Amino acid sequence: MLAVGDSTRLEIIFTTHRYKNRISKQPRIETNEGQPDKTVKISADILINPDSTYPVVIKPYKLNISQFGEKIRDEMTFKIENVSDLDLKPSIIDIASEFFEIKLPGTIKAGKTIEGVLKLKKDVLEKAFEKTFTIEFNDDAKSRFTIPVQRSLRLP
Amino acid sequence: MQKKLILFILILGLVLTFSLVQAAPRLTIPETEFDFGFAPQNSKLTHTFWLHSTGDDTLKILRVKPG
Repeated sequence: MLAVGDSTRLEIIFTTHRYKNRISKQPRIETNEGQPDKTVKISADILINPDSTYPVVIKPYKLNISQFGEKIRDEMTFKIENVSDLDLKPSIIDIASEFFEIKLPGTIKAGKTIEGVLKLKKDVLEKAFEKTFTIEFNDDAKSRFTIPVQRSLRLP
Repeated sequence: MQKKLILFILILGLVLTFSLVQAAPRLTIPETEFDFGFAPQNSKLTHTFWLHSTGDDTLKILRVKPG
């Protein structure tokens, strides 16, 4: 129930399974406002081979920052290779900011590889989760890449 | 004087009735689409949409049906 003037968040979780190419989903929200239901739409281009993307190649494409021992694991790095012939500016356009932050340089020079840093928030160190963040580049296609972040816990 | 009072009560009643009839919930979603761009297979992609109650009656979210 939402009182007049209140707001709430609706988290959509889209499992990509073994889908291929362009996929869209349109969940419907049924309320006492009546018909027609309101909808939201999510889309993704599912990659079969994440090692051959353009204009960048991200490695690893899935970030697993699981905790398996006593030493706290709250940070990891990943690489972004600019395989185009243009300098690219990355922007984080969507992030589960309650869980982690991402540090990236302002520009990735053509042909160069940079290192990004994923840093977990203190409040989630004892939580298992699966979240994502999305980077958009300033190439003509405004290419976007969504990177899954997974954390499981196996404490001693 | 009595006639004026009756007329005032009638008008007030009409206004209140009209207000009640007009009260309705309304869901507003400022961002209705999100494109994840490229994403790998066998992963869970997450995105949060904001829902606002912008009507003049309580909004009840009954259920969300997968697309």
